[in-house]
Amino acid sequence: MNRRSFFVMFLCLVIPISLLVGKTIELQFWTHEDPNRTVIENRYIEEFQKMYPDVVIKRVTQSSTKIQELVLTAFAANQGPDIFNMSIEDEYAYIVNQRVASVNYEAAGYENKEALINAYLPGTLDPVVFEGEIYGLPLEITNWCILLNKKVFKDAGLDPEKDYPKTWEEMVEVSEKLTIREGQIITRRGFDFRYPYYLVAFIPMVEQLGGKLISDDGKTAIVNDEAWLKFLDFMAAWGPNGLNLGSPTYKNARSLFNMDNNDIGMCTTGLYQLARIKADNPAFYDSREWMVVPFPQFENAVNYVPAHYYGHYYMVNVQKPKENQEMAWKFIAFMLSHPEEYLDKVAIIQPTNELLESDTFKNYPYSDVFISDLEKSTVVYFSEYSAKIQSLVKEAVESVMLSNASSRDALNALRRKVQEVLDDQY
Amino acid sequence: MRRILKKGIEHKKARWGWFFVLPSMAFFAVFSFYPIVNALYTSLFRKRLLSLRPPTFIGLENYEYLLKSPDFWNSIKATFIFTLGTFIPILVFSLLLAAFIMSRKRFQKFFQMAFYSPAVLSSVVAAAIWLLILDPRGLANMGANFLLGTKGVDYKWLASANMVRFSTILVYFWKYIGYFTIIYITGLASIPQSLHEAAKIDGANGWKDFWHITIPLLKPTTVLVSIMSMLQCLKTFSTQYLFTQSGAPLEPINVITLNIYNTAIRDHNIGRASAMSIILFIIMLFFTWLQFKASRSGGEVDYM
Repeated sequence: MNRRSFFVMFLCLVIPISLLVGKTIELQFWTHEDPNRTVIENRYIEEFQKMYPDVVIKRVTQSSTKIQELVLTAFAANQGPDIFNMSIEDEYAYIVNQRVASVNYEAAGYENKEALINAYLPGTLDPVVFEGEIYGLPLEITNWCILLNKKVFKDAGLDPEKDYPKTWEEMVEVSEKLTIREGQIITRRGFDFRYPYYLVAFIPMVEQLGGKLISDDGKTAIVNDEAWLKFLDFMAAWGPNGLNLGSPTYKNARSLFNMDNNDIGMCTTGLYQLARIKADNPAFYDSREWMVVPFPQFENAVNYVPAHYYGHYYMVNVQKPKENQEMAWKFIAFMLSHPEEYLDKVAIIQPTNELLESDTFKNYPYSDVFISDLEKSTVVYFSEYSAKIQSLVKEAVESVMLSNASSRDALNALRRKVQEVLDDQY
Repeated sequence: MRRILKKGIEHKKARWGWFFVLPSMAFFAVFSFYPIVNALYTSLFRKRLLSLRPPTFIGLENYEYLLKSPDFWNSIKATFIFTLGTFIPILVFSLLLAAFIMSRKRFQKFFQMAFYSPAVLSSVVAAAIWLLILDPRGLANMGANFLLGTKGVDYKWLASANMVRFSTILVYFWKYIGYFTIIYITGLASIPQSLHEAAKIDGANGWKDFWHITIPLLKPTTVLVSIMSMLQCLKTFSTQYLFTQSGAPLEPINVITLNIYNTAIRDHNIGRASAMSIILFIIMLFFTWLQFKASRSGGEVDYM
């Protein structure tokens, strides 16, 4: 046998063997920090990798305030992860710009699109539907209510079961009783707004008064000036130049509440906070010296509007090879096949009909309060430019709270800038 | 023949010179020159960060938009307020601190280390530390109340427009004063002692010696410090970014670099962000040229 023949025979053996052996599929999975979710999802990864030995999944967590920038930068360089999730108002741009793949129904374990839609609470997949296809599967649908520390109420001589605020006007009165100051410096806040999530937690206040951020046809910014002015006046009065009940410059309440250090009475947060209290401060959790109450309404509200709900959806990068995409959908479906564990360990709601009818959900503390508000709620405003619009609302609110701008000037500036964003889209 | 020989030797020497300079030129070309050219090119297009569609050529429209945009002019204003508020105190106090340290007979090294140490922190870490200090319940309010004899006054370090500007200037000053002090110490040390002795013999007191001998001879160092500090100030970003992320109002401290970042990352408008970068580059180039021009008037400094 000469050398050439030997080489050809060698190639004929090696190439088919390497094809048989198959290559490893590596999936990059980026998600936001949640210590409780990390524990269970790391276990799901181990289990999935045992089921599919050719698959290696690398899970990377980022701060929930940084992940938007990191995912965006990665996609801009065409180096985005295989799987990622963010809140829909940050994710929608990826759908519109066709950076994510539509759901592979078969890989995800559904017969067809209708079977997938029927598995979920009506409307909860609407934010990820684009041109008739579905582009994500919900990790969680979240709405916010008011979490309240009963001990702070009792310390101020109030009965939390009766005296919790049902209106924003009562929120002011109760907060004034709960707030402790040393001169002008607040050492215990009665209530902290959920800065800087203006689309979820502040726009509903405007809508309660009859206003809107964008007209129904999506072309006009700011509807009903009177409603907006009332809202901005309310925020100005709340801030350090008014009643001094709080400010965006204080440390956010959701990171203080769990510690139960007598520095915050109430905050706006979701069901997931309960699992975090349990993990961070089991004694406080077990004491049940906390409770959840509905999102307040203005006294003269023309609409009943709770905080908007938002969803985190798992999405798959369309620029990855087909086999990666298929495996990614399989893995996502595998994770999401544990909705009760997600609820029990992480306190996040996957809006499947199965979960919402389960005893696990019905017996979860205060799930009835969240669901009652969720049923009356609508999805947060989302568009390709929702992040920019949210920052413009932030500017307007901060200008009246911190910079002594008049509500009229702040509103005019907001209208001009949001209209510019809308016009840029059309 | 001699001329030919001399040319051959010069040519050989030059070749070696090119050989040694080439790596840094390549580095500069890849990491500085190419991004500038790329930004200039991108600024002529309407380009979205996430879009896979080819960008649309729009010529100078991005520049026209910016020059008419109140938001952009606010950024120019915020940048200049910050730069003037930081650069001038840095220039003056770093010189005074350097003169103070050099006048000490003991603990010179300790002072140098103490003033320089904030400069080794990353800007992000420095801003994070100051966020804690400037919190309403933090050390800044406690310290100010103690020094001013007030009780429970919230000086709104991160809340009011003027105070948040002052806070960003304060952080930057604290971080970089030591760095420029060390540069001035080097400059002061390079002035021959004989000149001071001669001035003393001629009857000059400490102040006259400082004003008529030290300051003029420090001209090259002063030019270096003023250009470096001004460029640093024009490029400021981390402090303003972290402060606004933590609830501080954006408008008073929306410097050009922060506007560039938000336009690119938050608004996905990479074309417009590139146009802003080019405008900032031109501003920095102009002020550098201006300072070089100003420094040449009055002649060169020669210690001999």
